[in-house]
Amino acid sequence: MEAFVDFTNRSQGRDQLFRATQYTCMLLSYLLEHKADKEKLVMKLKQLESSMSSGRKMFRLGNTVHALVAARRTTQLPDVVPRFCLTTSNLTRALYFICDAVLWLRSVGLQPDIDKEKWRNWATKCYYSSLLMNLARDWYEISWRLEQAVQKKKTKENSSWDKEDQELNCLKCDSLPSFLLLLFQILKRHPPLLLDMARPTNVITEPGITFKEICEPFRTHR
Amino acid sequence: METWVRFSAQSQAKERVFRAAQYACALVGDALRRNGAGSGVLDGLRQLEAHLSLGRKLLRLGNSAEALEAAKRAIHLSDMVLRFCITLGHLNRAMYFACDNVLWAGKAGLVPTVDQEKWSQRSFRYYLFALIVNLSRDAYEIRILMEREAGGKRAKGGENGRLLQADNGLQQLGLRLQVQLRLLLHVLRSNPPLLLDVVKNTCDLFIPLDKLGLYKTSPGFVGLCGLTSSILSILTILHPWLKLKP
Repeated sequence: MEAFVDFTNRSQGRDQLFRATQYTCMLLSYLLEHKADKEKLVMKLKQLESSMSSGRKMFRLGNTVHALVAARRTTQLPDVVPRFCLTTSNLTRALYFICDAVLWLRSVGLQPDIDKEKWRNWATKCYYSSLLMNLARDWYEISWRLEQAVQKKKTKENSSWDKEDQELNCLKCDSLPSFLLLLFQILKRHPPLLLDMARPTNVITEPGITFKEICEPFRTHR
Repeated sequence: METWVRFSAQSQAKERVFRAAQYACALVGDALRRNGAGSGVLDGLRQLEAHLSLGRKLLRLGNSAEALEAAKRAIHLSDMVLRFCITLGHLNRAMYFACDNVLWAGKAGLVPTVDQEKWSQRSFRYYLFALIVNLSRDAYEIRILMEREAGGKRAKGGENGRLLQADNGLQQLGLRLQVQLRLLLHVLRSNPPLLLDVVKNTCDLFIPLDKLGLYKTSPGFVGLCGLTSSILSILTILHPWLKLKP
């Protein structure tokens, strides 16, 4: 229980839990939607999803500042490409949070004359720009590491290698399967990079789910 | 801005800000109602307050576990009275959060058959018990500190001389009360965490007293008390040395 308390004490932890619950409900209600006697369950799942979504929207108020501070930090990065990608990603994320806050104001009833569609479109565009910038940076990092691996292979003659280098150098980069294997080795050695890539890729390429359903998180609630 | 990022990275901190906003809505709503504001504005404020309340309930979903963990830790305290008060306070808080979770499930539509009124009353009862236990703990700490101070003053040859001079019994009582009050103020002034805790718990006390109908005040007063205690709570998060330990 201590681990749970430590985890949920951090703001991110709770938000990720609610997010996981929200998407689980979305998935379950999608799967059960056309089943005969499951209407009540589907309705409850949709209501739970809606509560999680509006709660998380409220929870996100103020994250614009987080994103701006992160953007300021990433402008200090030494490499040009990650600096550009991450700073742009953080700035578009800040814009996304602003749109999100405006949508929350409308859903709460404080500003009922806000054009929901327009702001939702803007929020989606900012969210996807941010994701694409993150992916670009991940691909840059992968290609840099691939290049490093190839360089190491070229200068292998006189040095005594350690076990990891031996693994990489045994693979030749001249065919697709071996290239994929090399890529796999690199990702295995750098789990944060793998996780960082897997997250946004999942959102963009989920099969069988329409664009409208991907946008459910941005839906405002009565 | 860095301060804000660190601050709101703590889940509890955000919840306190929303609590302050919720009670501020109640206060402003009551003030506007007295000044004859339109029903549109009042409805908007009430809706915002309801949204903030529901959002906070969602944020609090894991807090029972947290309170039970805190109770488990408090059992190992050396001082018996503190151990009893703090453990009991945390246990009551855990029960309050459990009732709160049930209320959320009802409001979110998961369990529509929940009797909102009954569970609301239950949750406020546990909240009231927790606050009473916390205030008892504060009183105990104040008493110990006052005794320590009085002992120190007596060692230096204190104010007993004046008491002996007063011949009237009432005068003696008055003087004694004066001495105690001055001692109390001195103890509170030199212990800001304790003072903050006393004020926070006293402000919070009016909320369940009003909601349970034990001591009815106005919604504006409840809003003011809630806002004050939330601000004090935010202060203890921003400056951890202000939090009363253990």
